[in-house]
Amino acid sequence: MNGATASHRDDVLLELDDISMSFGKVQALAGIGMKVRKGEIHSVIGPNGAGKTVMMNCINGIYQPQIGNVNYKGEKINKLRPHKRAALGISRTFQKIELFGGMTVLDNIRLGRHMHLKTGLISGAFWKGKTQKEEIEAREFIEEEIIDFLEISHIRKKTVHMLPYGLQKRVELGRALAFDPELLLLDEPLAGLNLEEVEDMARYILDLNEEKRWKMTIILVEHDMGVVMDLSNRVLVLNFGNAIMDGTPDEVRQNPEVIKAYLGEEDLYATRR
Amino acid sequence: MSTFLPCGVYHETYAQDHAFWQTNFIRGKMILLALVSFIAIPFFLTDYLSEFILLIYWSLGALGVQLLIGYCGQLTLGHAAFLAVGAYASFLLMALPWPRFMLDMGVVYPLVLLISGIIAGIWCVIFGLPSARVKGFYLILTTMAAQFITVDFFIAKYVSQIGGRQQDLTLSSDLVKFGPWTVDTKRDIYYYGLILTILMTFMVLNYLRSKPGRAWVAIRDNDIAAESMGINITLYKLQAFFVSGFIGGVTGAFWGASRNIISVEDFTFGKSLWLVGIILIGGVGSIHGVFYGAAFMVFMIWALQEIVGMVGGTGNIIYYKEIAFGLAICGFLLFEPNGLAYRWWQSKNYFNLWPFSY
Ligand SMILES: Nc1ncnc2c1ncn2[C@@H]1O[C@H](COP(=O)(O)OP(=O)(O)OP(=O)(O)O)[C@@H](O)[C@H]1O
Ligand SMILES: [Mg+2]
Repeated sequence: MNGATASHRDDVLLELDDISMSFGKVQALAGIGMKVRKGEIHSVIGPNGAGKTVMMNCINGIYQPQIGNVNYKGEKINKLRPHKRAALGISRTFQKIELFGGMTVLDNIRLGRHMHLKTGLISGAFWKGKTQKEEIEAREFIEEEIIDFLEISHIRKKTVHMLPYGLQKRVELGRALAFDPELLLLDEPLAGLNLEEVEDMARYILDLNEEKRWKMTIILVEHDMGVVMDLSNRVLVLNFGNAIMDGTPDEVRQNPEVIKAYLGEEDLYATRR
Repeated sequence: MSTFLPCGVYHETYAQDHAFWQTNFIRGKMILLALVSFIAIPFFLTDYLSEFILLIYWSLGALGVQLLIGYCGQLTLGHAAFLAVGAYASFLLMALPWPRFMLDMGVVYPLVLLISGIIAGIWCVIFGLPSARVKGFYLILTTMAAQFITVDFFIAKYVSQIGGRQQDLTLSSDLVKFGPWTVDTKRDIYYYGLILTILMTFMVLNYLRSKPGRAWVAIRDNDIAAESMGINITLYKLQAFFVSGFIGGVTGAFWGASRNIISVEDFTFGKSLWLVGIILIGGVGSIHGVFYGAAFMVFMIWALQEIVGMVGGTGNIIYYKEIAFGLAICGFLLFEPNGLAYRWWQSKNYFNLWPFSY
């Protein structure tokens, strides 16, 4: 899939236009530009503290960049709160798992479905009728589309914080999928997983991108170079808040600056158990 | 917290799986509970009817607090204010010149009850507005402001002056009519409270298994994740404040109807604290906990009264009461921070999963 870079240059789904963000003296992002085209997997790599997570937070609205614009489908969305951006079709997972710990797997995924439900205070109070029907439909969707896809039917009733880490990561992906987003931000989905789980997760990511059912555009933040190079159409390399380069995996591999930024860190990525 | 079904029980449809009472055993227990509360208590335990009315009152009040604190994670220390708003609103609205036929048909009081709840709900939303910006300690301060602004200032200084100086407001019990049913005896009041409690409890339970309630819990557990999933957290927080205030309002109205007279003394800051104490004892984030906590408190007060009576005390147990309740809360926070409901849940799962209970 490496060569399959989306060719139509006008098909930009998300554009970061020179965004900057600093926390006091720390410049987390210094004028980053990025164009994510429909249907691609666009990875973001860089050493620890490079600003990758801050960038995801700027895209989904947890942070608002101090300078520059975030454009989604040609519209400026800088000032929109996260829930408004979710409504536009932007979903995400978190580097440090942010599930609703005390709830069951099913309820977590149901919350991902929140925006598709219509129950308000009046119909919700009575349950029978509209609300019950809606809940059953949501349940069917979740069972058929999410739980089957991610192979988590055996844990649907389990409380999330009692699950092993790898499964929590998977549930978080499920929650992010439940509202059928167009753009999916994955912040280190493979971190902390064992080899088998990495393979599963990589397959899910690929399926989400390629299968007709999903056709999702994905921004992938990851330290696992092997997976990044395998899956991505394009790779953006960050270092200390600066974009070193943005290109195809092959271009990135051969770029001397990238090699320099990563020099000595090679072992770090090889230490996965 | 999800409960485990007994070994060997499975569901065939999602509707079954979404139902409240999923096994015959639970259905049986509910029928038993209904028999006890609708027949045994009002007809055979008449000596204790006052205590049960108190139990209903405290349960209802704590239900609203539980929703806000236990399910939406918004701390409140001024909930008696919304009980007061509901009580005063209902009394003042009943004093309006309603047409005779409406009074006779018994539609006025139900309508007034509803409107009082809505007014209290809106009042609660006003004091919930800061929750959009502040959390925790600061929110506690604004809800305490609700208490003092509403009760000690607004109601004490202005509202209770309506209809004459230093007069407590009264409501004649023949006005409390639901259709043909006039709520005038103690047993009627008990039934009124019981039905109200059932309605409010089901309302909250229904919310919790649908969109609004899930959003509240999500906000409590992780507001950033909630917002990223498309939940408008400000809107849902305010909805929680509204529902909580609404429940507070009808609770206050019920309290007023049960005594036919209200004064600011009924809605002190102390009462707000007791409401929070009930959910601390019963268990934060549990509907069962509301009832266990309220039962614990009512029973404790009753027992104290009996003891003081037995040893021939002066009958003024107000101080013992406060001290005992304070100690009880401390004890629970130290030894059973999850409350009575958690104990119950543990033992229930033990038996449900038996013989594999570990
Ligand atoms: N809320 C914040 N307040 C202050 N500084 C912050 C905040 N968030 C991020 N930073 C700083 O911004 C820089 C970039 O952080 P970021 O989390 O984006 O790194 P990252 O590329 O995701 O690294 P990692 O690979 O470790 O996840 C770091 O120096 C970090 O300390
Ligand atoms: Mg990061």
